[in-house]
Amino acid sequence: MATTTLTPAASRYSALYSWLTTTDHKKIGIMYVVNSFIFFFIGGLLALGVRTELAQPGLQFVTAATYNELFTMHATFMIFLFVIPMLAGFGNYVVPLQIGAPDMAFPRVNALSLWMLPLAGILLLLGFVTGGTAAAGWTSYAPLSEDRPLAAVGAGQDLWIVALVLIGTSSILGAINFLVTIFKMRAPGMTLFRMPIMVWTVLVTSVLVLMATPVITSALIMLFIDRNYGGAFFDPSRGGDAILYQNIFWFYSHPAVYVMILPAMGMVSEILPVFSRKPLFGYKAFIFATAAIGALGFSVWAHHMFTTGAVYLPFFSIMTFLIAIPTGVKMFNWVFTMWRGQLMLKTPLLFAIGFLTMFLIGGINGAFSASVPVDFALHDTYWVVAHLHYVLFGGSVFGVMGGFYYWFPKMTGRMMNETVGKVQFAVMFIGFNMTFFPMHELGLAGMPRRIADYSSTAGWNDLNLLATIGGFTIAFSMLLFLWNVFLSLRSGPVAGDDPWEGNTLEWATTSPPPAYNFDHLPEIRSERPVFDARWGRVAEH
Amino acid sequence: MSSSRRSRSRETAVFALAVGALIIGVSLILLFYGANVLKAGNEILTGLYPPIAVTTQGAEVRNLYTVIFLIAVAIFLVVEGLIIWTVIRYRRKPGDVTLPPQTHGNNIAEFVWTVVPTIIVIFMFIVSWQTLNSVDVSSSSAQTKIRAVAGQFQWTFEYLDQTGTKVEYTEFQSLVAKGGGMYVPAGRTVQLQLFVSPKDVIHAFYVPQFLFKRDVVPGRTTSFDFTVDAADAGQTFRGQCAELCGTLHSTMLFDVKAVTAPEFDTWLAGKVAEANATPAPAQSGAVGETVHISASGIKYEQTDVSAKAGAPFQIEFENKDAGTPHNVSIHQGSPTGTEVFQGAIFNGVATKDYEVKALDAGTYSFVCTVHPTMIGTLTVK
Repeated sequence: MATTTLTPAASRYSALYSWLTTTDHKKIGIMYVVNSFIFFFIGGLLALGVRTELAQPGLQFVTAATYNELFTMHATFMIFLFVIPMLAGFGNYVVPLQIGAPDMAFPRVNALSLWMLPLAGILLLLGFVTGGTAAAGWTSYAPLSEDRPLAAVGAGQDLWIVALVLIGTSSILGAINFLVTIFKMRAPGMTLFRMPIMVWTVLVTSVLVLMATPVITSALIMLFIDRNYGGAFFDPSRGGDAILYQNIFWFYSHPAVYVMILPAMGMVSEILPVFSRKPLFGYKAFIFATAAIGALGFSVWAHHMFTTGAVYLPFFSIMTFLIAIPTGVKMFNWVFTMWRGQLMLKTPLLFAIGFLTMFLIGGINGAFSASVPVDFALHDTYWVVAHLHYVLFGGSVFGVMGGFYYWFPKMTGRMMNETVGKVQFAVMFIGFNMTFFPMHELGLAGMPRRIADYSSTAGWNDLNLLATIGGFTIAFSMLLFLWNVFLSLRSGPVAGDDPWEGNTLEWATTSPPPAYNFDHLPEIRSERPVFDARWGRVAEH
Repeated sequence: MSSSRRSRSRETAVFALAVGALIIGVSLILLFYGANVLKAGNEILTGLYPPIAVTTQGAEVRNLYTVIFLIAVAIFLVVEGLIIWTVIRYRRKPGDVTLPPQTHGNNIAEFVWTVVPTIIVIFMFIVSWQTLNSVDVSSSSAQTKIRAVAGQFQWTFEYLDQTGTKVEYTEFQSLVAKGGGMYVPAGRTVQLQLFVSPKDVIHAFYVPQFLFKRDVVPGRTTSFDFTVDAADAGQTFRGQCAELCGTLHSTMLFDVKAVTAPEFDTWLAGKVAEANATPAPAQSGAVGETVHISASGIKYEQTDVSAKAGAPFQIEFENKDAGTPHNVSIHQGSPTGTEVFQGAIFNGVATKDYEVKALDAGTYSFVCTVHPTMIGTLTVK
């Protein structure tokens, strides 16, 4: 750097060029994370638009048509361009390091997977300037997503379909890449049952992506044919079937819920042992529970369709209940990892604890929707909005934040500011509960989701206002987060190789790691090779 | 070491201050917005329960909710308490560099927390299934049969004969305030059929106080039974479409008006007689001019029409929306002003002539009674 003879402008240019053309999994992983955060902030702004409109009864802020675009795009960005790629990005950065590999198995395919994402994002955003984005909800149920009057007549829905097919292709390529990397590139001694839990969750996630994503791609292509070439797959007025779309859609989109939560569970499972200074409690039970969730995840899709009257209810009800069992096993294993440990209450651990406490609520209220008659009352109300945000925000976002604070020193070589981090956690935790807890009650009181307006006499005013204030509180916590990242990149303390006394191989190399990651590896005799190297086998007993 | 300990305690103090400031700030904001904090707190505590059910089926769902809710609260308190206690109890003491015992797991514990939750979820499944079998039924022997027809963006209610096929009376208005709504006999089981045109989209019939909803899917007919408690006669319950159906989704409201069974029979007989009565012969060779208004895509195609003051005139109203009911009503000034004329509501595609009596000069609004967002201006001069 200092010895370069290039002019500053040229070096900046070539640095940019090297990022744009890189096949290094670490740079690609970081770009995944940055790209995902950009769409997180766009999706967050759209959510603030939704909350602003709902703060009071009446249509003050946007029209009903724009409102439908806001929540449709909010969910689309958050699910397909934030949570899923964010977790893939962390997987990209962490998995090769944790299994002692120099890179992903197919570095160029890896770069291709990354660059399809911003392209898809731009296609989605283009809807705003081509007469309206998709507005049929992120589920885009047919026939509302068909090209017909009073439905999705504009180009926005087609852009949405093309963008999702692109993202799906990116996911499939990424999943193949992960599977080959994990199965073929582990360092000597890194047996399957010595792999860190993060790697296991990425492994199971990749299997889910590989098996489920082609299915939704088929639904999207059928919908595209319906819309553009006169097909009638999902159009009942021409012999198609509206329920068929829902079956295919949820066959992907329920496993996708686990794609959105399993790697976050993996992150939490990395953070808890390190900051408790104990091994993960029940390592193998944890792996079996992860695999069980993945397997059961394919047999519960129709619990999103209980109220259609077109699915066999008892089967999907019992399968949904059963998924609580491996999830409960995980919860107890996490708690008993901390039990009798020495908890270092640093920001990553705070976010991991936030994950446990909030995901617990998201998990328990899953039992309500698994119970078919109770779901008849709750389905498509704000109660479901509360439930899914307790899983995807209380779970995935808290996990991602914990993972970010945890691996930021490895990615950049600098520590993040602890005080700002803790304040951000507190503000986010409070804002999150202010926003989403009242939604349980709104739903029970009968407020349907996806409505632009509600009657001022329905009794929903106070709780909606509270949720809106909470939404802006979350936004404030995100500004604190950005400030912390900025501060830490500029002047954060130098991290060193292993600032947290980590367990896994990424802490056995420099921060940031060199190209191809390792000069030499410690001996791998357990799932905690770096711990073993630090303490020796004595500590085992 | 001591300096790092000091900085750690300072960090904790900053953290505690920030949390305190935030809670105070939020409370102040709430007070500023005039929300009663105590009332809101009470709402949060009582709001974790669904509304009191007004149907026997809904009451069963509510009992089931109680079972699931109590189990959920117990699990929540145990696990959340365990997490919080663990975090507080096992904080690292400053300066402690020893390792805690390296427990890798415990098979008995894993067995227990696999088997106990299994028993709990199977119990919850069985009670749910039992309730399902008694709330999700549809009997063709029900004495009253009604068909709710959903459409973008209105509900119409067809009262059927005993066979459940012939429509005896159609109610186009879905709100009691506008003289419509779905009348149901309290204490009597009603079979509700749900229907939507294949050219329409998916809707959902949802009444919060029934604790029940059912999707209305194009290309399918479904039905379910409900029995409003006899004690709830005289009450009106608000229902709403619960499946995103397009731009005006949030306007698809309807009322369910419960009346006693004899009242219901009298009301229905009256409505049927009214519908069967020979319509008054249209005045042939009506005096005055003819104003043409047409509706398409839940919009009037004319937003500005005019008529002569002080003379009766005719509105030739063309409803181009297949299967969707529209009409023309005339209000003084704004669309919510006093109604001076209401034309009959009818399904498209069809055309009807309305005879309107002489109006004073001035500006009027014309509105579709079914779709309040369909608005135009009528200038009388």
